[in-house]
Amino acid sequence: MGPSGSGKSTLLHCIAGLDRLTSGEVWLGELALSQLSERELTKVRRDQVGFVFQAFNLIPTLNALENITLPMALAGRRPDDEWLDRVIDTVGLRDRLTHRPSELSGGQQQRVAVARALASRPQIVFADEPTGNLDSRSGAEILSFMQRAVREFGQTVVMVTHDPIAASYSDRVVFLVDGRIVDEIHDPTADSVLRKMRELGD
Amino acid sequence: MWKVTLRGITTKKLRFLLTASSVMLGVAFMSGTMTLTDTVRATFDDLFRDINEGTDVVVRGVQPFESDFGDVPRRPVPAALLPAVREVPGVATAEGLVEVPYAQIVDEANEPVGNPGLGAPSFGFSWTDDEDLNPMTLQPGGHAPAAADEVVIDKGSADAGGIAVGDTVRVLTQQEVKEYEVVGIAKFGAADSPAGASIVMFTTEEAQRINNFRDQYSSIAVVGDGSVSQQELAERIARSALVGSDVEIVTGEALIEENQDQLAENIGFFNTALLVFAFVALFVACFIIYNTFQITVAQRTRELALLRAIGASAAQVRRSVIAEALAVGLAASALGLGLGILLSVVLKNLLNTLGFDIPATDVVVTPDTVVWAFVVGLLVTVLSAVLPARRAARVPPVAAMRDVAVERPTNFGRRLLIGGAILALGAAVLVYGLFATPDDAVAFIGFGAFTVFIGVFVLGPLIVRPVARVLGRPLVLVKGVTGTLARENAVRNPRRTAATAAALMVGVALVGFITIFAASAKKSIAHAIDQQLKSDFLVQGGTGFAMVPLSPTVAETMRTVPELSVVAPVRFDAVLVGGEQAFVTGADPATSSELVDFDVREGSLRDLTADGIAVSERYADDNDLGMGDLVVVTFPATGDVPMEIEAIYSRREMAGDFLITLDAWATNFLPQQQYDSLVMARLAPGADADAARAAIEEALEPYPTAKVRDNAQYKEDQAASVNQVVNLVYALLFLAIVIATIGIVITLMLSIYERTRELGLLRAVGMTQSQMRSSVRWESVIIALLGTALGLVIGLFFGWAVVAALRDEGFTRFAAAPGQLLVIVVVAAVVGVVAGVYPAWRASRLDVLRAIATE
Repeated sequence: MGPSGSGKSTLLHCIAGLDRLTSGEVWLGELALSQLSERELTKVRRDQVGFVFQAFNLIPTLNALENITLPMALAGRRPDDEWLDRVIDTVGLRDRLTHRPSELSGGQQQRVAVARALASRPQIVFADEPTGNLDSRSGAEILSFMQRAVREFGQTVVMVTHDPIAASYSDRVVFLVDGRIVDEIHDPTADSVLRKMRELGD
Repeated sequence: MWKVTLRGITTKKLRFLLTASSVMLGVAFMSGTMTLTDTVRATFDDLFRDINEGTDVVVRGVQPFESDFGDVPRRPVPAALLPAVREVPGVATAEGLVEVPYAQIVDEANEPVGNPGLGAPSFGFSWTDDEDLNPMTLQPGGHAPAAADEVVIDKGSADAGGIAVGDTVRVLTQQEVKEYEVVGIAKFGAADSPAGASIVMFTTEEAQRINNFRDQYSSIAVVGDGSVSQQELAERIARSALVGSDVEIVTGEALIEENQDQLAENIGFFNTALLVFAFVALFVACFIIYNTFQITVAQRTRELALLRAIGASAAQVRRSVIAEALAVGLAASALGLGLGILLSVVLKNLLNTLGFDIPATDVVVTPDTVVWAFVVGLLVTVLSAVLPARRAARVPPVAAMRDVAVERPTNFGRRLLIGGAILALGAAVLVYGLFATPDDAVAFIGFGAFTVFIGVFVLGPLIVRPVARVLGRPLVLVKGVTGTLARENAVRNPRRTAATAAALMVGVALVGFITIFAASAKKSIAHAIDQQLKSDFLVQGGTGFAMVPLSPTVAETMRTVPELSVVAPVRFDAVLVGGEQAFVTGADPATSSELVDFDVREGSLRDLTADGIAVSERYADDNDLGMGDLVVVTFPATGDVPMEIEAIYSRREMAGDFLITLDAWATNFLPQQQYDSLVMARLAPGADADAARAAIEEALEPYPTAKVRDNAQYKEDQAASVNQVVNLVYALLFLAIVIATIGIVITLMLSIYERTRELGLLRAVGMTQSQMRSSVRWESVIIALLGTALGLVIGLFFGWAVVAALRDEGFTRFAAAPGQLLVIVVVAAVVGVVAGVYPAWRASRLDVLRAIATE
């Protein structure tokens, strides 16, 4: 968490292998991302990382199922059907699989995005303001799906947000100001996060 | 408002240049053609002036008629006129001149000098010592021909054949082949020879002998003493000399003008043919301009709406789009004109290397060319942008608040109705032009074809989705999700894809049409040869369409070859029949009907007399004529001659509609037209074909232009001549394909720009750069194949319609040429790949972060 311009998104882009570092190192599991070529980085993003962006998460020409399996299709791998079924049922998209993004609501689109992020069993999922464009009910749905992924599947999720309610779904909140980590809270609630934010703002 | 327009152009330089380049190429082709023909015309105008400068009056025979089938020679002038002309007051000198229509030099290696039948002409004339009347100048070390076996030749031919003064050369004419001593070499002013022609200058008596002239000249050229005008001198000659009705008198000035007009007409044909292709290129460019503006207007919806919201009127928005089109058109016209002038220089050099020696002169750029370049360039661009401009003006201010509008859904029914109606109208006009053959058939056919293209263009968006689905199926199977993306991207904006494909469609349709037309022509020719030719060998002068005269001594020589049983010379030339232009065949009826199956329906060819004519069944039926009826044939020598129909035959592919005897030919054609066009021969019973061929070739060794062909080779020769024309057309249509390729590049670039975020997302979730390139490339291939599929369907229709319409002209066989059409498909796929290279590279180089951050 952090206020606008605190470097949340930049940090996320760096550790997700989307951006290049000017100095320092990023380790993803056993991999030092800074030493990888563009080609290898692409493979890392495809196989070991999942993404959920704030908006424009889906390819409009592909249907929901194709969007979910896109990273695997790009890798030329067959998805693990059992796992895929579980993910799809978790996000409740069974009856929407053949729909194109334009035929889905904003909440449904984000659920497809979450399913895509989970479907390839990545080491880590990055979510950049995943609920920023949603109404509160849809947002809560998305957040609880991601929470279930952590609880039930043991999935690591890193989310960037400035919404204390969204932050309260996590296990640990790290606060950024001007590109530096300034504080953290374990097992946060919306209130504790909000309080900390106010403190930092002062 | 102007600032916004201008800013828009300068920030999108590459797109602006690409868009302009489509029109620029068309304009370049057009202005290049015009400049080339103007330059050639100016050059020859000067040349004709130089040739005829010293001539004040010419007395010459009349030309009995004119024909599009070739130059009809003038009748000779009686030599008795010459002394009478010389007596006329005001005449300083007068000379009788003889033009020898065909004189081919053969060098020591027994090779004809020049390029018989394909390049510049080979002819001769009588040498005159009068410098005013002789356009050639003797080079030092030579002298004028003084004996029947002495000649002067042009320096161009001397250099080409390695011939020097004192050498002996053979010269092929309509007489027997004869050896001459080269006694002089002459230049044509500063040039080695006029326009690369090969010229032999004989003594007057020898030239007369070659032409079968008896006390005749081709013309009498007169130089005045300067006391009266050319006009007055001409009138004096007309009054005092013994001028008959066969003779006309023209001034030197009129002669120059006549030559210039004649050339202008010949070049005009060439000019028109090339301009047709320039028009095709510009037509293709229209699609691209339309499409580019349509797409950019769609992409700028928000910007335009914002302009409207802050107070720009609809008219201002419309004008801003038109202004951008004007700028594109202006740039395209200016660049195209420059490129066209360069192109004309290149083409001129190309013609020179082909043997048409066009003397070096400055390139002539007339004001006409400049005006046309700008008018056409601006008109094409602005007219193509009218619809997009109207669309831009209709963007409501409120659109500024909305998301960028996707393409409006297609109104299926309305589009089907309008497109179908246009297509049906086009097809109907085309078919009417072809089959009903109205006076302006070409205009009908052209308009019909044009309208068919527009119709398919309108229907395009309806066809895109289903056709691309089919075309893309194998791709999806092979390439997986990359293939799916390529296919889906190709169909997501059906209108855009259809317009892009339509540009390629035009070129492909014409290429496909020509391919089918040529294949049908070749098949029909082969069929006619198989069906009708009963000879074993054919001897032709050269192998192309242009007929190189053969001396009648060729046939005589062949008669001495024991391996041959029947030898039949055949002649073709232009006449009028019933006042209409026609070709007449001259042959010995007995031998030729043994060698050609004419399928005689009435009468007998063997009984054909010198006063009679055999006509085709079609001509007889069309004109309601029967046996014994009279047909009036206008011949060069004898004028209108009524001839009785003595035979009617059905197969007209070999002989055409009219056949006369060689005796009738000798009487009715001019003395200088007594040569053969080809000689047919049949193997003697039991003779070996290879031995016979060797014997013929040996006997004909002195005639190196005479080519011995068996029927299979003859077919090949004919096919090769067809291919020559077809290849030229392919080359000219290449430009239309290039422009269409540019269209695909522009569309892809604009689409990629529009899909920036999507591409970024794909890269973020793991698409590699090479997968990205592959996806864009295949999208390009699908668009190209779509245009090709549409084009081939239209091409097949055009081909079928034209071949069917020409059935009576000998197109008896239709050939769809599937092999060649497949080649077109492969080439189109390659075009797609090539067009996709740059956009694919651009797409793969997208900065992922910036792409996903783009609003």
